[in-house]
Amino acid sequence: MSTTIGRLLSLVGITFLIHSAYSTYQHLSYLNAVDKAESGLPIEIIAECLISVVVSLVGVVLCAGDLKNILMENEMRKQTIDKLDTAPSFITFNHRGRRAVSAHTLLQRRSHMS
Amino acid sequence: MTRLDFEATSLELQQYRQSGERASERVAYLASRIIKDGYSAKLQDDIWPFYEQAVAAALDVGDFRLADECIENLKRRFSNSSRVQRLVGMRYEAEGKLAEAQKIYDAILEEDESNIVGVRVLVSKRQIALLKLRGLKSEAIAALVSYLDTYYSDAEAWIELCSLYLSVHAYQKAAYCLEELILLQAANPIWHLKYAEIMYTLGDYSLALKQYCRVIDLHEDHLRGMYGIQLCASKIMANGEADDTTKALKELATERILATEVDQCTIDSIKQVVREYLSVA
Repeated sequence: MSTTIGRLLSLVGITFLIHSAYSTYQHLSYLNAVDKAESGLPIEIIAECLISVVVSLVGVVLCAGDLKNILMENEMRKQTIDKLDTAPSFITFNHRGRRAVSAHTLLQRRSHMS
Repeated sequence: MTRLDFEATSLELQQYRQSGERASERVAYLASRIIKDGYSAKLQDDIWPFYEQAVAAALDVGDFRLADECIENLKRRFSNSSRVQRLVGMRYEAEGKLAEAQKIYDAILEEDESNIVGVRVLVSKRQIALLKLRGLKSEAIAALVSYLDTYYSDAEAWIELCSLYLSVHAYQKAAYCLEELILLQAANPIWHLKYAEIMYTLGDYSLALKQYCRVIDLHEDHLRGMYGIQLCASKIMANGEADDTTKALKELATERILATEVDQCTIDSIKQVVREYLSVA
């Protein structure tokens, strides 16, 4: 939910940012055309720029995922020994798993059907 | 059968791929569900590592039909790939045809144009696994040692070497492997735990005590770590070399075990037995 709001907000913010950039360009070319000195931007464009930056900031922050813990040990706590002490490239298949699992699945299927 | 929650399943499979956990029964079940229920198209690019994972799990549980299906799909997409050939070799291994598997692995390693270093590494590991399969433990150890001479930062290989040494009761050498692992992954409490337990087996109680302390430093209130501290401290006190720190550590460990684990047990008789055991030991 917050990601959709975040995406919407950041989209709106970036659109207005681009719009304010384009307005600046237009304003400066207008000043050039009427030969006035660069007397600074009108307040509306500045306001639009700043507000759009804030809005897109809020939107991007809402889009980002959950924060993760900075302490390594809190991540490590969730890991079991099985997840850490494995060597998956060296597995061998000469164990009883084949017979044990097929018997187990057969029993499961029978119990599902009955 | 309940409807498959695709998002949760693909996330779970991804986690298994990252951690390398050997949960073959679960993975084989999920993989066959995904393929049977027709979700394989939804995986898009993730499907190739998914097939690889499914093959390994299927071979582990003996589901050759699933393994063959995945290998066929991979072959259709990646013909002439050494990575797929490795999976074919694994399939021969699972069937028991070790000679054919050996031939395939030798063929892969001989190909000069192997620009894919990763596959050569994986295939050398499979060859070591073949030696292990045949029961030639000392040859497997020798091959693994020469492999580690080149690739000394490969944690997985050190783990394997450690378990091989432990299976032949070469505790000092297993301890050396764990030292390397501690160097590679210093924040992992499991290596310290294993090292501490090997040191305890060898009788080096003070070093074991230090390592157990490191375990609970990294993982607060780790039950095995605390029990280890309690045992080591008791042994040191029995040898008569204890000082105040050791006594304090033993009391701390006993207190923490009782507080975190025993007090949550609902059966009073068990609580009583454990309390007595801990106070005497």
